[in-house]
Amino acid sequence: MGAGGGFMLAESIKHPVEHLIPYAVPPEEFSSGIATWYNSICGMCPAGCGISVRTREGRAKKIEGNPSHPVNQGRLCALGQAGLQVLYNPDRLTAPMLQSGERGSGEFVQTTWNEGLSEVASRLSASTNNDGIYFVSEGVRGHLANLFELFMNELGSANLLHYDFAHPHSLYAANNHLFGERQLPYYDIRNSRYLLSFGADYLNDWLSPVHHGLGFGHSRQGNGDARGRFVQIEPRMSISGASADEWIPATPGSEGILALGIAQQILAGGNYQGTDADDWNAALATYSAAYVEDKTGVPADTVARIASEFSHAEPGLAIGGGAAGNHTNGVDTLVAVNALNYLVGNIGKPGGVVFNPDPVVGSSTAGRQANFAAMQDLAENARQGAIEVLIINNTNPLFTLPPGAGLKEALASIPLVVSLSSFMDETTAMADIILPSHTYLESWGDDMPQPGVGFSVGAVSQPVVSPLYNTRATGDIILGLAGKMGLGEAMGWDSMEDYIKDGWRNVYERSSPDAGGFDSFWREVLTSGAWGENTRNSNSVVIDKQVIDNIAVAEAEFSGNPDEYPFVLHPYLSTTLYDGRGANLPWMQELPDPMTSIVYGSWVELNPQTANEMGIQDGDLLRITSEHGSIEVPAVTFPAIMPDVVAMPIGQGHEEFGRYARNRGSNPIQILAPNMDAVSGSLATSATRVSLAQTGRRAAPVKTGGESRQLGRNIVQSTGADGDSAGHSAKLNSIPIVVDPA
Amino acid sequence: MSVSIVPTLKVLLPAARIALVALIGLIGGYYANAMFFPGTSPEQPIDFSHRVHAGENEIPCMYCHVQARRSISAGVPSVNKCMGCHTEIATDRPQIRLLASYWENKEPIPWVKVHDLPDFVHFTHKRHVQADIECQTCHGPVETMDVVSREAPVEMGLCLNCHKDNEVVHGTDCWTCHK
Repeated sequence: MGAGGGFMLAESIKHPVEHLIPYAVPPEEFSSGIATWYNSICGMCPAGCGISVRTREGRAKKIEGNPSHPVNQGRLCALGQAGLQVLYNPDRLTAPMLQSGERGSGEFVQTTWNEGLSEVASRLSASTNNDGIYFVSEGVRGHLANLFELFMNELGSANLLHYDFAHPHSLYAANNHLFGERQLPYYDIRNSRYLLSFGADYLNDWLSPVHHGLGFGHSRQGNGDARGRFVQIEPRMSISGASADEWIPATPGSEGILALGIAQQILAGGNYQGTDADDWNAALATYSAAYVEDKTGVPADTVARIASEFSHAEPGLAIGGGAAGNHTNGVDTLVAVNALNYLVGNIGKPGGVVFNPDPVVGSSTAGRQANFAAMQDLAENARQGAIEVLIINNTNPLFTLPPGAGLKEALASIPLVVSLSSFMDETTAMADIILPSHTYLESWGDDMPQPGVGFSVGAVSQPVVSPLYNTRATGDIILGLAGKMGLGEAMGWDSMEDYIKDGWRNVYERSSPDAGGFDSFWREVLTSGAWGENTRNSNSVVIDKQVIDNIAVAEAEFSGNPDEYPFVLHPYLSTTLYDGRGANLPWMQELPDPMTSIVYGSWVELNPQTANEMGIQDGDLLRITSEHGSIEVPAVTFPAIMPDVVAMPIGQGHEEFGRYARNRGSNPIQILAPNMDAVSGSLATSATRVSLAQTGRRAAPVKTGGESRQLGRNIVQSTGADGDSAGHSAKLNSIPIVVDPA
Repeated sequence: MSVSIVPTLKVLLPAARIALVALIGLIGGYYANAMFFPGTSPEQPIDFSHRVHAGENEIPCMYCHVQARRSISAGVPSVNKCMGCHTEIATDRPQIRLLASYWENKEPIPWVKVHDLPDFVHFTHKRHVQADIECQTCHGPVETMDVVSREAPVEMGLCLNCHKDNEVVHGTDCWTCHK
């Protein structure tokens, strides 16, 4: 027995048999053991950063930022790094599927591409009314956007919508209203000396956070001895707020009134740079110091001080977004914020608001973005039986629309729902036919980032690995459908790669063709991962007197009676999960939220004073109720939030979307009122009042950090602005901020 | 009154004897395994002979293992590399026909690793080849073997002794290999 044991022992410590599998024919450029880097474009959020992907033996191993790309200049955020887990996700859709049970039952059978495409093509051809064909895509740009336009045009339907939950509709509308610009401008944070941010969490999720992070760093440390100042105005301290010199909580929805109050102070005693003072004075007469203090809760002397600092900073820059733009007065608020830039004369100047040229390809995309009103119309049309086929591309409106939109019920009236997606998300689960798409790391594509960086930028996305499964690139699926429907004449490209290459010949021709010809240009674009052109937008800005006369910010409206629903719900985009698309990535689930250090799951943040008054402890499971529903979520006390505001991250609470996302946390969008911004028709996500109630149960969130206070350990030593040592309590706009006594 | 522990030990004596026999058996079994089933020359899918290629025909190692000088891994030749010669040479032999059948099906040949370092060891061919270390130092006299077997004990001692003898800079740092 001993001998047998010894024999087995020797056997068990042997190396397992490993194989050396050579290629039959090695690909060009391949050397085993040597990494190949491919430049491409990140597909994780709409910012459009450039990426460099390290591959070995045909497998993608690591994603970094592409140093040549002007948007991110070599940097990349955590979500971008986690793109590998999109590629290798175990819950990816691997083959075309047909619904076999009832819709929503989750029963699918696999089919072939030929059958799947034929079925969809025949149903499209058989539709009796061309406008009964709807195509709802995630926000796409470049040639893919053009291809969708072409396809829907050939089908004779005008119902092409791009739907992104976080699309800044209000900002587009505000810029168009004040400056007459259809594209977003470039906010030159890098060269500004005084950044005034109204609710824009620009280091976390606003527009192009990686680029803003670079700009912020330069504004702080890149100008010699001059350190850029930065003031953040928001009801709950975001990551940007935590990096600010001064954090000012203003009553939710009053940010625009505050901006106009600052504007009035600039005209009265600040460094006003325009020539139309009388018009502005007349328009801003209402926004006296006393009125603004009353409406915003920000003391009049603070308003006056900020107006003076901002207008004398040269250049000062005001940006607005996030919750400030997501109220019922969102567009007016952002018009007011933009007006500050005009008043201090920073338009078109370094460190100010620089207008972008129209993108080289796909300039129509911003106009395609569907706001909440458009999605409600879609649901209404569906209920009336006007939609025959709905194609959904990689967007998840069933998760990111409040139930008040009625889309889920309306889907029952649509005879055919087709989803092009890499994952079984909530919307794809309701599809009849699933045509699974490649991830961005397996696809050809191109992008003209919006907002750009002040000049024309483009980039091409190339496959960095061979497709892992029996999926197809979105563009190839559309071309396949077009082929089956006999649209070959108008859309005769063999593949998306051909189409993009064809389109880039035009880009090549406009950029002074060099001697090497198109092929050398194309190789260069692919190798460097970015293309740029020194085309700038030289539009000057004259604001009509009529526009000035009409500048006003109404008070924000909220759904729910303040007596019954005493708190304003402040949902914010999660640092890690964005609008929920990161929830199926384990790396993002386990990445601690930077403000609370919580991993996995949802929570609601409330002021310690509020918690105290209501007898709520950290980790108590609360029921949050609005007029439109209720969810259960654990409490987390958070000192930097207004006492009558509660905040919740968006992103958790999936019912589908794979093993890592499903049944984890709750989704605050589920209880949002279907309120809209009056001008832009976008969802006013910050316009819902809620009540809190104890459930009597506890569900402590998992945190990496233990105690957020110093408990006398004197870890962070601080000195007050007036030379006081730490250990004092301050009162900032009625928020008691208690500095832990050392 | 004195207490003797001898009675207690006497009870344990049979158990100790059994344990001793078992231990001897254990050691014997261990070495029997190592001796009769060493796994140092595993069976390969094709009876490829290094003796014929590297010995008799004096083909340099890096003609086939092209990556060794510039990559961490030496690289196994692709099937089309083999066919580069064997479309002409010795095409009638059964083992070459076997090779050709892989090539016709465009399938890779699943060679079995002979020299396999554990995953916690970071070894790079590039460094060693560029320092003019003979391949045979670690791989043994491959040019004499019909079936490659692991002859040199490629273990930590071999690495460290060589690093010490050659006065490799940081050659005995843990992180040089374990990273």
